[in-house]
Amino acid sequence: MNKTMLGYVPKESPIYAVHPFVKLYFLLIVSLFPMFVAAPEWNFLLLVIILGLMVISRVDIRIVRIYIPVAISMGSIILISYTILGGRHPEFQVVFNLFGLPIYWERIRDALVVYFRILPMIATMVFFLSTSRERDIIVAMRTIRLPFVVTYVFAMALRAAGMVLEDFQIVRQAEQARGFDTTGKPLTYKIRKYIMYMIPLFALSLRRSEEFTNALVARGYAFTGEASRVKRADYILTHYTFKPHDFVFTAIITLAFIALLVARYGFNYFGLDDSWFIRWLYSVLV
Amino acid sequence: MGVIHIVILALLIGIGFVVGAFGSISFPLGFGVNFFWTGIAVQQVGGIWFGGWGVLAGAIFPFFSNAIAGTPFYVSLGYVPANAVQAFLPAWAFRRFKADPRLKSGRDYLILFLSMLVANAFGALWSPLVVLRGFGLLTTESLPLFVWGWFGGNMIAGIVFNFILLKALSPVVIRTPAFVKRWWA
Amino acid sequence: MSAIIEIRDYSWQYLNTENPALNGINLDIYEGEFVGIIGPNGAGKTTLALSLDGLIPGQYHGVKQGTVKVMGKEVEAYPRGELQRQVGVVFSDPEAQFTAMTVEDELVFGLENLGLSIPEIRERLEWVTELTALKSLLPKPPYEISGGQKQRVALAAVLAMMPKIMVLDEPTSMLDPVSRKRIFEVLGRLKREQNNTVIVIEHSLENLIPLADRMILLSEGQVALQGPTRTFFQQIALLLEKGIYPPEAMQFFYRLVQRQWYNGDLPLTLDEAAERLEHVLMPRHSTYQGS
Repeated sequence: MNKTMLGYVPKESPIYAVHPFVKLYFLLIVSLFPMFVAAPEWNFLLLVIILGLMVISRVDIRIVRIYIPVAISMGSIILISYTILGGRHPEFQVVFNLFGLPIYWERIRDALVVYFRILPMIATMVFFLSTSRERDIIVAMRTIRLPFVVTYVFAMALRAAGMVLEDFQIVRQAEQARGFDTTGKPLTYKIRKYIMYMIPLFALSLRRSEEFTNALVARGYAFTGEASRVKRADYILTHYTFKPHDFVFTAIITLAFIALLVARYGFNYFGLDDSWFIRWLYSVLV
Repeated sequence: MGVIHIVILALLIGIGFVVGAFGSISFPLGFGVNFFWTGIAVQQVGGIWFGGWGVLAGAIFPFFSNAIAGTPFYVSLGYVPANAVQAFLPAWAFRRFKADPRLKSGRDYLILFLSMLVANAFGALWSPLVVLRGFGLLTTESLPLFVWGWFGGNMIAGIVFNFILLKALSPVVIRTPAFVKRWWA
Repeated sequence: MSAIIEIRDYSWQYLNTENPALNGINLDIYEGEFVGIIGPNGAGKTTLALSLDGLIPGQYHGVKQGTVKVMGKEVEAYPRGELQRQVGVVFSDPEAQFTAMTVEDELVFGLENLGLSIPEIRERLEWVTELTALKSLLPKPPYEISGGQKQRVALAAVLAMMPKIMVLDEPTSMLDPVSRKRIFEVLGRLKREQNNTVIVIEHSLENLIPLADRMILLSEGQVALQGPTRTFFQQIALLLEKGIYPPEAMQFFYRLVQRQWYNGDLPLTLDEAAERLEHVLMPRHSTYQGS
């Protein structure tokens, strides 16, 4: 198993045959798809396709469970925002009244449209995080020739995040060893807990900044001056080659996006008027 | 400007990533809006201590902490200006009005409080109005909930953490080469 | 023979501290020498290591007096990043030295900084992974390997840059005895096969003594004692007074000296101790009948 940013993927997974840039490109472009699609069934189809890709990539699909509460909370917020907090609109059709508050068909419809846009966007992010290792992101960034300092800061930030998590565990254990436990305690107590964690976390990170800097300088890294202008070879990239299938995937993603734009704005597809799901829901609710 | 500032930038993004994600997951209101967002401390204290590097980190890290908490990529991207201003304004106020990060006088406290107030108000207006409304995620009528949610979430967490962190750690930080008196060095 | 490192009347005081960390140091270190530096905590050992690599005064606020010359040139006179091609430093906490996501990235980082070509990087990577037995760990994240492996990675990352001078600041202080031994095995190979100047700051004297040509004792920011390893440890009384505890075999022989049961050189290693003990015991052994 290889550790990714969000779980583990078996070493035999076909996802490793895909160049990291393609994964990043997928995230950046496919995340845009739902913004141009109003009909929920198409966005749902996109969601299914992404989940399918996760299955093909042999991602442990249980990872999705982490995001179920997020999806539910977002769905609830959207629904409440559009219905209960949606205001009074005499021009809309009332489906039913909730404690004297009219709940409109148009508002339920819009909430669903928005919700089905959000779901594939989250899934794209989860797909990316669960199939990419930290190094993949660095490689993807270097492939598109981002300056070394940018990719390096990013790598160090990921590394720092890991260290902060470790430090957090240490600080928490130290606090607990001194009898500081938050179980069943009120919110104010929990907030106090955060303060007691934050100060040592910051202090530890400041110390690490000194150690990190010494390590970088000792390895001849310079941000300014002559040494910073050294022409760097990119050894890591030699392990990754852009193979014919990577070109094909990139082309498919690009063409799909162009096709989507043409269909949406040239032929008015994917709109609400064509949605059989919305028509069906209307027939059920109204 | 040296290697240490690059390191500080990376470390702040790293800390912010963890602390911000923690807040986003623990106290969510939705779409990365939280009613107690711990990340604000990294954003604003980082800007005060490390100038442009802290501001840069403050603009970047929420993008990642939101992503891990399930906020869509482009919604997070839309929050970047709000986060940048939230990090920038207190940093700017401390430099413009020569306030002491060690919070030695009532004036220093006042500058911090007012700059937090304005910065968080901007963030609270930008994100729900421009981003969430722009993406059609919210109705106009429900915007106040998110505006107040964002503002309150950042303001309360800021009051809880910023003062304590500055008071406790500024004396240490300003003695290190990492401390940035102006903007970049 | 000219010194590769020349330190003259060197003092360094960190900002906001009352006493200098180093106070009037004079030292010459020669090419190809293996030097061990010992001293109690707060003696200024790490400050000295940082000074040799230009991290002091480059990365720290403080007041410097005197000169620290590396290969005939004052450390501040080197352009940024240039001195580090000549002097490599390994720190005590391996965790704090890693900034990359895999062992391989960590090892090639310094080589990329040097501006080496891909074939050169590949060649050095092969050499250093063979020397430090790290080949199987290349794809792993450096923070997921054991403490001993981490320190070998840190050592390899510096070795790969092939600096003329290697400074190791308590490289084994966080390691178990087996991992310690492995680090010193690498240093031993380095001494035998390369002509590097190696300066090791270390508390673990059992491993250091067999390799060191010369020892230096730092105490309260000053050089309290220095000399060839064998001569150095004959001053055991001073070492004990300064809070340094030589290997127990050596201390044992020192007690024999104090009791006038032995009057030769103090043995440096366990093997030497065993050999000398044999000589000490042999005449008595032949007459010893038991009860």
